[in-house]
Amino acid sequence: MRKSTLFVLSLALLSAADLPSQGRGRRGRRPTSAPTPPAAAPKQEEKPKDPKQYTAIVGGDVYIGTGQRLTGATVLIADDKIEKVGHNLKLPEGTTVIDAKGKTVSPGFVIVQGSGMGAGFSSPFKDTVNPFAPDIKQGLAAGITSFLAGSTSSRDRLGGSNAVIKLAYGDVEGMVLKENSVVGISVPLTRTARDSLKTSVKAAKDYLAAVAAYPAKKAKDPKAKAPKKPKSADQILSVLQGKANLWVAFGGGGFNPFRRMAGGGGGASDVASIREALEIAKMFGKGVVIQKPTSAWLVPDEIAATGSSVIISPRTRLPADPKNPDRTGTNIASAAILAKAGVPIAVTCPSGRFGGGGVGTNGILGQDLNTPNVDAAYAVRGGLENRKALRTLTLDAANIMGVGDRIGSLEAGKDADILILDGDPLHYSTFVTTAIVNGKVVYEKGKEALYRHISRPKH
Amino acid sequence: MSMRNNNRLLVLSVTAALVCAVATAQNARPTAFTNARIHTVSGKTIEKGTLVIRNGKIDAVGKDVVVPAGAKVIDASGKTLMPGLVSAWSRAGLNAPTSLSNTPTRSGRRGRGQRFRPSRSSGRTTNAAATKVIDRVYIRQPIFGKLLEVGVTSLALNPSGGGFPGLGAVLNPAGKTREALTLDDEAFVQIGMQRNSGAKKLLKETFAKAKKVVEEREKPPAPPVKKPEAKKPTAGKPEAKPGAKPTGKPPEGKEPPKPGPKPTPKPTPKPTPKPKPKEGDKKQEPKPSSKPAAAKKPAKKKPKDPNLEVLADLLQGKRRAIVHINSAADLLHWRTAVSDDVKFPRMIAVTRHDSNSGTIDLVIDHLKKWECSVLLPPSLTTMPRTAYLTHPAKKLHDAGIEVGFIIGESPTSVRNIFFSLMELVRSGLPADIAIKAITQVPAKALGIDKRTGTLEVGKDADLLVFDGDPLSPTGKLEQVWLRGSRVEKDSANN
Repeated sequence: MRKSTLFVLSLALLSAADLPSQGRGRRGRRPTSAPTPPAAAPKQEEKPKDPKQYTAIVGGDVYIGTGQRLTGATVLIADDKIEKVGHNLKLPEGTTVIDAKGKTVSPGFVIVQGSGMGAGFSSPFKDTVNPFAPDIKQGLAAGITSFLAGSTSSRDRLGGSNAVIKLAYGDVEGMVLKENSVVGISVPLTRTARDSLKTSVKAAKDYLAAVAAYPAKKAKDPKAKAPKKPKSADQILSVLQGKANLWVAFGGGGFNPFRRMAGGGGGASDVASIREALEIAKMFGKGVVIQKPTSAWLVPDEIAATGSSVIISPRTRLPADPKNPDRTGTNIASAAILAKAGVPIAVTCPSGRFGGGGVGTNGILGQDLNTPNVDAAYAVRGGLENRKALRTLTLDAANIMGVGDRIGSLEAGKDADILILDGDPLHYSTFVTTAIVNGKVVYEKGKEALYRHISRPKH
Repeated sequence: MSMRNNNRLLVLSVTAALVCAVATAQNARPTAFTNARIHTVSGKTIEKGTLVIRNGKIDAVGKDVVVPAGAKVIDASGKTLMPGLVSAWSRAGLNAPTSLSNTPTRSGRRGRGQRFRPSRSSGRTTNAAATKVIDRVYIRQPIFGKLLEVGVTSLALNPSGGGFPGLGAVLNPAGKTREALTLDDEAFVQIGMQRNSGAKKLLKETFAKAKKVVEEREKPPAPPVKKPEAKKPTAGKPEAKPGAKPTGKPPEGKEPPKPGPKPTPKPTPKPTPKPKPKEGDKKQEPKPSSKPAAAKKPAKKKPKDPNLEVLADLLQGKRRAIVHINSAADLLHWRTAVSDDVKFPRMIAVTRHDSNSGTIDLVIDHLKKWECSVLLPPSLTTMPRTAYLTHPAKKLHDAGIEVGFIIGESPTSVRNIFFSLMELVRSGLPADIAIKAITQVPAKALGIDKRTGTLEVGKDADLLVFDGDPLSPTGKLEQVWLRGSRVEKDSANN
């Protein structure tokens, strides 16, 4: 009952007009009108090439991905980028028009944890991706256009080898968006590990400061030596320089499939561990991404204060542990509580496959990526605003993966990774009718043997 | 013990039978098949036609051919003639026959019959393009004779592995000695695509290096105009040789590639002696003529990499290649590693339909750009995760790409090829294309199409006689003719 009223309410609110966007937290407010085209720069770059191929998705209700919705708007795509989004756009000659009247248009879903779907098995992923993997189509049917493949955690020190993979069916070069945009570490750390991390981070910071000061120093004293890079600090440096995001996982030590199956958060996802993660954030002086902190809803403000983000599985429910007052369990309200405090959230599903890290389209017991929108809808049921819930699958997820400048919203200059759906993106009856990745139509419901025999039930 | 003896006997008897067959080939009395249905492959199928064999070659073929006087006439009414099968993908004879494993049958290699292990150099980290696969073959195996009995009249031997595993050979399956077995010991360059960064890097860098060698060769040798007398012969010699290679393809008469005892198949400078003296000599000439600066250059370039020389030949069109690419994904990865500007005559070999990485028909556009033929497994396949059958061969053929089929390397798989073709034909592939795909197309890829692969005047009389439609289960292979002589069936082999 509560869910449906909330749903109707939010729908009514949304369709009322071009809502002022609800930019959140540290990102501030977004412009109120449809994004204007600052697309001049990419245009110039591509000018010497062939004339641009234009595609327009016309007449759909466009979810920008920032929380805003434009009713009956047009999305204009030039080659592989979004050129313009707005009402009554003038289409260049020769534009391919895709009619989306009565449909919704949304950014492709960005999944923070995935496997399969054509991702290679080792880094560099660009040499091993399989652009014809059959489960690419299955992922596209689920609305996924990008996901993070590979490992995102490492014990006691920074590590991980991963890549943001796009489901660009049939295109090797288009499949890898960015390699190693995420660096991971798992807590709790041993005392020696924590100490050595602290010294390494300090050394790296000193090095960066010395590098910044070097030109001035050199001007004064031509004999000044260039600062020496600290040993094996590449990953720390890439985090400090903003080239990679730091993710913190909860290790708990050892492999415990049952615990993982139940919680998906590892064994030590209690408040103390969350605080340790935040300690690392302070060490680096920038927000980290906390992976599946089941007790995070107890300390949302502490998390927000460090500028950290959270990956959460709203579907996961864990009972409180009466013996451990720190471990309070989790339920569907967690996401809403965190969002209210201004913590960006990315939604994932409970770990499938007996706790293995891999979540893909081949999971067991429904714990898989075939319905990421429903996972987000669980957060709505727990009190998260509908609009914000879509962000957990789009822009916030992209930011958490460190690729928010390329994907996650329908804004001019971004990659054209777009879904056309036959209803509200978060409704469980909604199907993807068309998926576009890098400006190319890579999935059409009517042409693939996955869901073409199912038509959306009327509610 | 008795088993082994039996086997030895068997080998001997096969040998004897084949030697007899070859001996009879030399008589000059022509043979004529009359009233036969003739799949010429080169042209239309002839109904009630006549085919005349003289001196091992096809002397005449057609509807109104007059049977020469004195010819031995074989009434072939109700029978079908087609060219002998050409297998462009096999590793027959590269493993020690298990039954003979303890007998020292291998010539050229000592050892106790352990299975051949591909040398590390054929892996992905190095370029071993000049290694000859023929050096690794175990001769005097019954397998060649058995393959001949079921219709394989030309047999390729493919080095295996990623990167540049070596030079493939074309065998005469009736040969009993290394020399007789070898028709061409460097018929083609084998290249293998693998989807990993090591293999891609190797492809990219090696082709770049080979390109440089080509540029070096094509540079006009301007500065040294000193000893024209000494220069002429050196310059003339190499041009004639590599030039003769692809076109001439000397048949049996060709000089044998070094008799037996050549210990190991290492990529020694031995395999490509031809280009070597050419450039080496050229470079060495300026040395005495001019300054020490010039003398330095040749000293640096002296150790030529024979593997690169082979690939440079390839890029210059003096050799051809068989490129093993199993899936559409691999083909796209090839394109990211090796640019389309790197052009060379090639055939793509697909050894299994890989619907998990995309069957090769998904990238027809790229294949068209390469203007190459494609060797496929003779089977339909299913769309990924469905039961819908797809027909990659038909798709390629419809798109104008020449299709060949892998006919296997065991007598059983060769016998089954006609059943497989039947399935492909009933699913829409034209029957004449199916026959062409196991004769002319692979022959072209091996560079033996001037000699065999079709039933045309002047070609070797390699032909099969069926007592009906080859694709029908009722059509039985009755006779195999190799270079004008009938291959006697050895009952011990059946």
